[in-house]
Amino acid sequence: MTAEQPSARFGRPLWRRLGLVGIALAAALALSACADEHPLDTLTEAGPDAQEINDLFFPVLGVAIIVFFLVQGAIVYLVFKYRARRREAAAAARAEEHSGDGDDLYGDDEYPAQVHGNLRLELAWTIIPTILLAVISVFTLISLVELNEVSAAEDDLRVTVVGQQWWWEFQYHLDGDTSTPPDIVTANELVMPVRQQVPLEITSRDVIHSFWIPRLNGKRDAVPGRTHPWVIEANEVGRYMGQCTEFCGLSHAYMRMYAVVLSPEEWEEWVQGQIVDAAPLEPGDPGFEGQEVFLANCANCHVVNGVTDVNLDGRLDGMIDYAGANSITSALVAGAAPNLTHFASRTTFAGSIFDVYEGRAEWIPYLEVAERGDLNRGHLAAWIRNAPERKANDADGARGMTAFPGLTEGEIDSLVEYLTTLR
Amino acid sequence: MTTTSEPPLQLTAGVQLVRPSSSLGVLARPKGDTGWKSWLFTVDHKRIGIMYGAAALVFLVIGGIEALLIRLQLAVPGGNVLSEDAYNQVFTMHGVTMVFLVIMPMAAAFANYLLPLQIGARDVAFPRLNAFSLWAFLAGGIFLNTSWFLGGAPDGGWFGYAPNSGLVYSPSNGMDFYALGLQIAGIASLVSAINLITTVLNMRAPGMTLFRMPVLTWMLLVVQFLLLFAIPVITVALFLLTFDRLFGANFFNVAAGADPLLWQHLFWIFGHPEVYILILPAFGIMSEVIPVFSRKPIFGYPFMVFSGIAIGFMGWGVWAHHMFTSGMGPVSVAAFSLSTMFIAVPTGVKILNWLATMWGGRLRMTTAMMYSVGAVAMFTIGGLSGVTHAIAPADTQQTDTYYIVAHFHYVIFGGSLMGMLSGIYFWWPKMFGHKLDEKLGKIGFWVLLIGFNLTFGPMHILGLQGMSRRIHSYAADSGFNLWNMFATVGSFVVALGVMLFFWNIGVSRRRARGAPPVGPDPWDARGLEWMTASPTPAHNFDRDITVTRPDEFWHRKWRIGPDGEVKRIARAADVAHDGSATDVHLPSPSYWPVVVALGLPLVAYGLIYNLWITGLGALLILGGLYGWVFEPPDDPEAHDHHDDHDADGSDDSGNGASGGGASSNGDGAPADGDGARELAGVGAGLAASTAKATGAQP
Repeated sequence: MTAEQPSARFGRPLWRRLGLVGIALAAALALSACADEHPLDTLTEAGPDAQEINDLFFPVLGVAIIVFFLVQGAIVYLVFKYRARRREAAAAARAEEHSGDGDDLYGDDEYPAQVHGNLRLELAWTIIPTILLAVISVFTLISLVELNEVSAAEDDLRVTVVGQQWWWEFQYHLDGDTSTPPDIVTANELVMPVRQQVPLEITSRDVIHSFWIPRLNGKRDAVPGRTHPWVIEANEVGRYMGQCTEFCGLSHAYMRMYAVVLSPEEWEEWVQGQIVDAAPLEPGDPGFEGQEVFLANCANCHVVNGVTDVNLDGRLDGMIDYAGANSITSALVAGAAPNLTHFASRTTFAGSIFDVYEGRAEWIPYLEVAERGDLNRGHLAAWIRNAPERKANDADGARGMTAFPGLTEGEIDSLVEYLTTLR
Repeated sequence: MTTTSEPPLQLTAGVQLVRPSSSLGVLARPKGDTGWKSWLFTVDHKRIGIMYGAAALVFLVIGGIEALLIRLQLAVPGGNVLSEDAYNQVFTMHGVTMVFLVIMPMAAAFANYLLPLQIGARDVAFPRLNAFSLWAFLAGGIFLNTSWFLGGAPDGGWFGYAPNSGLVYSPSNGMDFYALGLQIAGIASLVSAINLITTVLNMRAPGMTLFRMPVLTWMLLVVQFLLLFAIPVITVALFLLTFDRLFGANFFNVAAGADPLLWQHLFWIFGHPEVYILILPAFGIMSEVIPVFSRKPIFGYPFMVFSGIAIGFMGWGVWAHHMFTSGMGPVSVAAFSLSTMFIAVPTGVKILNWLATMWGGRLRMTTAMMYSVGAVAMFTIGGLSGVTHAIAPADTQQTDTYYIVAHFHYVIFGGSLMGMLSGIYFWWPKMFGHKLDEKLGKIGFWVLLIGFNLTFGPMHILGLQGMSRRIHSYAADSGFNLWNMFATVGSFVVALGVMLFFWNIGVSRRRARGAPPVGPDPWDARGLEWMTASPTPAHNFDRDITVTRPDEFWHRKWRIGPDGEVKRIARAADVAHDGSATDVHLPSPSYWPVVVALGLPLVAYGLIYNLWITGLGALLILGGLYGWVFEPPDDPEAHDHHDDHDADGSDDSGNGASGGGASSNGDGAPADGDGARELAGVGAGLAASTAKATGAQP
């Protein structure tokens, strides 16, 4: 990796940091309390499911910590209380040194009472932990049942989540019917309404991934050929980071996602904005050249609703099948790449590793980033030019985005221009 | 068991009639007790054990370097020590190496060296098979590691989840090396398991009933049964993977209708018993060390044994707790959540029994004792975090995060490895005739303990803060910076601790050079293995030992008076055998185990590169087996006193006859009526127990 890579946010060179270790160590403990920017923290829940989990976890952790102190305390106590007296130990050491044998280690009566066991004690420390664990298991079962309850109605919003090396696709079924083509297809940012349980159906197109927004709920594996139900719900409006947590190959670390939680009004507005197709540009429109480059180079894999699916010249026959979640037609999945219809309305791309807009645009309301954000042209152009250099990728281009050495800088610029029109 | 040698004599005579004559043999058996050949062709369980241990330590260094690379990469966000590809190979090989090439062979080292000694036997039941196990394991380990130089090491994780381990997603040969290398190592483990089970069940000293066996012997026996049943499961899984990758099968091809969860179930049905395969030997070691240095018998012996057996059984019913998020359905999740919770009970029983052993004792905090106590403390932490992810809902947050990494390192490093280090310090004088330096050992212990906690303690926090496993990099804004730096610093402290251990070995060896070996019993210990000279003579014991109670050896030195006071009745030097017996009949060395083992990696290389090499390897195996079967039983030049006692051949014999002749080697005053059982070869003990076993059969 060169320094120019996911870099911008993935840190400074190692050696410079290593130099700071000494100072850092001293200040570390003091600072740790303040430096609490932990976007993936499992302990600061922001949804009822994560809450349910922590309500179970904390008491068990408490019991574990008590047992921890009891056992470690007992060990320390025993070692100090029953340690052979110093003089005796020294004599034993001398004897040992002298003959190299154990015969002179201990004299008569230097052995303590030879206790072989105690049935009552054994039964006690078999039965008491069993009862303790039985109590915990009751609460565990209750939690399991509650976590598997789906309160959303059949015709409420339902989202199919598809993992793919190394990004996430979200297919929105506004009427809850996953057997029909989705109403909205987007990538990497799961936009959802606040305080509404959103049932998910999680699957994968290639290897096993795991969908995890830690502050909202535990994780659920995305397994190719299987569809796993899961739910997600947020108490507060906001942006919650997620990370793929099942090892999925080269760029496993670079497979992130966000849950973007909007107020009900914003959510309605977002849906209205996303549900429409993009309009094909006409000659003379800004971005028209980019659209032509797009159709010639990108449309093999990427969809722009209203543009690529009108299948100009029949170029796209059989290329893309988004009809169902189980659209695995071959082991290789080139041909399925993020739907770009409303690309400019998102804040991140390429598995939420890169920012579409400068400064992460966090201060801008989510629905206004396309209007007010400051486009990160450098990142976008570099990605189009040579994606595998920016994010580890399959060398032969069978998976992930390939490099486009054939594109001129002018064409790349026009592509970036085109992407900004996809709001 | 009777004490006469009549039955073995008759048995011997009968067998001798059908013994193949030397002329059928391909080669004479190798000779000599020194030089590299004496190690390469040895069938002595002690030499095999030592070689297992040495190999495990070499692999420990390799796996440790891999660990340091991982920690360097993760020291700071956006680390660029390793590429993504290299990182995936390194973490995969770190796991594979530490599990299959360090902890398992280290346990095999203890099992090989100590198990026959602890039950008062001359060797294992099948000495040549034992040698084959060693070489097959080594062949598998070296084969796996050659992948580094042949286009890339395995990169799919030690768990090798399908379909990511398939040809499409892992196109280098790495995962082929993984599948075939583990297959070879699996053959070694399986053969060894059968060998050791047979040994324990058939070759115990007279009077050594199952419930007089040391706890270590018990735990090793349980482990061998776990291996016996677990290895075939991973064998199946690895075959499916191999067929998929090399011959285009579709076992894990989702497009062809496969369900990738098949691999996960197969892997973890092996993989969870595997966890107990890794930890139970250490439990056994701790159960030997703590009583000796507490000067008390193990507290609650039957509970220690039965909890070990219970763990062995329950270990089969918890595998799917590795799969709580895999989508196998809420009923399965509930069932495995409960079973996992309750496996904590027998484990807790063990911890409390160790503490009760120390309670009321007079502790000598030697290095071995410190490692054992440290292992109890560290394993407790791993056990407790284990309970927190037995509760399945919480596990959906924790699984595949560093919380899990912390958990299993506390179990496998803090429990297994520390327990085994305790065992190394404890039995080193028995193996090599000198102690390891105590002062250096204690310094090393504290360095290792502190480094270990500095490395893996913070990982609990990292995991709860949401840091995923197996990521080669994390973003600076993820909030993982601080504790990762701690862990990296800690890992180098661990490295320092390990270096101190090796330094100690060097220093202690140099100091011991020229000095007389320590006595048979340097710690005033309890087990039969201390009842013979140090280092253990090739023939183990001069005479058969009649066992009348647990801790037989200790009771021959000390007598418990009516008021519980302990008085010396004999010195170890008088009770123990001095190893002076001559004319002892031992299994002869053999060329063939190493030849057969050498064929295995050739078969594997051939499957990857060229089937002709497979043919060559197959020829080597078949030829080796031919030589093995028709090997002359005797070293002709030492006809009368170097007989072959492989119980696996038909040549388990002859010894009885010559045993009678050798009974004159007067060896001190035998305590507790050993005299009647004097024997010179493994003959009477072995053959008599064989006779017993045969007699017991319908």
